[in-house]
Amino acid sequence: MSPATRAARAPGGHGAAPWVFLSPLLAFAAIFFVLPIGFSIYLAFTRWNPLGTPRWVGLRQFEYLLTRDDQFWATIVNTFVFAGAFVLIGVPVALGLAFVFGRARGKAVWRSVYYLPQLTNIVAIAYLWQFVLDDRYGAINRLLGMVGLRGPDWLTDPAMAMVSVVLVMIWYEAGKNMLVFSAALEGVDQDIYDAAEIDGAGAWRTLVSITLSIIRPAFVFVTITSFITGMGFFALILAMTEGGPRGATEVTALYAYRMAFEDLRMGRASAAALILFALIGIIAAVQFRLLRERT
Amino acid sequence: MTLQAGQTARVAAQARLALRPGAGRRVLRGLGAGLKYALLGLGALAMILPFADMFVGALRSPADVFANPPRYWPRDPQWDVYARVFAELPMLRWLVNSVVVTVTITTLQVATSTMAGYALAKYAFRGNGAIFRLVMGAQMFPFFLFIIPIFFLLRFAPLMGGNDIAGQGGAGLLGTYAALVLPFVVTWYGVFLMRQFFLTIPDDLLDAARLDGASEYRIFRSIMLPLVKPAIATLTLFSFVYHWNEFIWTMTVTRVAPDLQTLPVGIYLLSGAFEDLDQKALQQAALAVSILPVIVVFVLLQRMFVAANLSSGVK
Repeated sequence: MSPATRAARAPGGHGAAPWVFLSPLLAFAAIFFVLPIGFSIYLAFTRWNPLGTPRWVGLRQFEYLLTRDDQFWATIVNTFVFAGAFVLIGVPVALGLAFVFGRARGKAVWRSVYYLPQLTNIVAIAYLWQFVLDDRYGAINRLLGMVGLRGPDWLTDPAMAMVSVVLVMIWYEAGKNMLVFSAALEGVDQDIYDAAEIDGAGAWRTLVSITLSIIRPAFVFVTITSFITGMGFFALILAMTEGGPRGATEVTALYAYRMAFEDLRMGRASAAALILFALIGIIAAVQFRLLRERT
Repeated sequence: MTLQAGQTARVAAQARLALRPGAGRRVLRGLGAGLKYALLGLGALAMILPFADMFVGALRSPADVFANPPRYWPRDPQWDVYARVFAELPMLRWLVNSVVVTVTITTLQVATSTMAGYALAKYAFRGNGAIFRLVMGAQMFPFFLFIIPIFFLLRFAPLMGGNDIAGQGGAGLLGTYAALVLPFVVTWYGVFLMRQFFLTIPDDLLDAARLDGASEYRIFRSIMLPLVKPAIATLTLFSFVYHWNEFIWTMTVTRVAPDLQTLPVGIYLLSGAFEDLDQKALQQAALAVSILPVIVVFVLLQRMFVAANLSSGVK
């Protein structure tokens, strides 16, 4: 660092300039980050139908949700099933795709194709899958019908509906995660593979002990971000199944959203959102620990 | 491993391969390659099929739909469905709203991100570290936490939209473009991205400009901004795609303001009108129109977009 730079970088060296550059960010942080979070926490301790004024009820909303609201617990279970299945199937699928993608020709074409869903708005995703998965006239059940099979009721059977939304979620995110993995794989030095081969390591052993350990940071990143995304993502489910049939795909974020904007229970909905946020935070931290430590 | 050791290893490996009876291995390799493309192709088919299904569906006539059994392939493709979409739905309104909102947000995000990223990367001042931690920390907060509080902050904005000083009496900013734009003026990720790019620019450049007597704002505008053009392109593309497709927030604040709805929101909230079987084609055509602009932008700027994606991956 040159002396001039050091002088320039001394505190107060350029007076107001950095603060001018930062002023939009700071104003935004105050109004659209700190204030809403504070407001949200306050609301969680009140009962509020927005036509009136909030009434302080202490921990009653939390107590109701956690001890008496069976539906809330059902949505928590659904949230975990959705996010868990998405991570457990979606991450290996993306990793597997990255492996074959990394050794294929015509990368630009494959990449564009796999990235297509990521460019598409979620309403279109939901509806085009509704068409494809239609019980009787959807493309998939027609195809199955042609080979004499009767396809499942993808979206109207409560057990299948969760399977369907998970599959669509995996389909939607596969391209993005594949690209993160393939970037990490490209960073692996070919020499390391050669050395492993010299040492007589088989393909499987090479994969497990070399490749996976080198791309571990990417693996940790994709796993945790996928999990966080899965736990809070409800736009797809809202547009695809509206949480149905019979609440089979109702996840907590959707439940809280409807509690707010359909039942107008702002206090309880804020409490539900905070509980979900706390759960996500705790589990993401645990995942981070576990995945980090096994190096 | 040193470079030399690696080289030795590679030569040794090649030697070993050369000595080995090759035929069996080559067959295996061929099988491996076949399997590789089979897998990729199958995946690609799964990616494209739902889109293809939508394009086919949009061309069906009522006769196809009401045939017994309904025909999958339209007998007489209804190409005019794309004209009907604009004639029978408020499609133009939605399209204009999508463009206005997306362009406004993208412009603002690029402006705020470059400014903040520059300040964080190139100035040492008390509070720099704290603000950077805020930028990183804020990215952890999922959007669903903000929907309720921001909705009411806009609703009770003092002196706006007929509100008095206490925020009572009117509709506040709800029902205005501001409600669609304001919550997205800053993107934490964008600030982070720009900061990382500005860090790679040598300080000497700044010093030289300062010695020449350029003002801080002049340096930023005339010297720094042109140097981070690739990063700006990246951010522009990310913002554009994200906000063209944004759904939950826009739907929440425009549910009762049809004039402000964007393409995805309009199509979603009008889904009741597409219940009838013979309206499905119209819905599928509308969806196609909502997707197309993003795909065009992506195809045009693919190279940059991909580079952005890779650099965003954590290594």
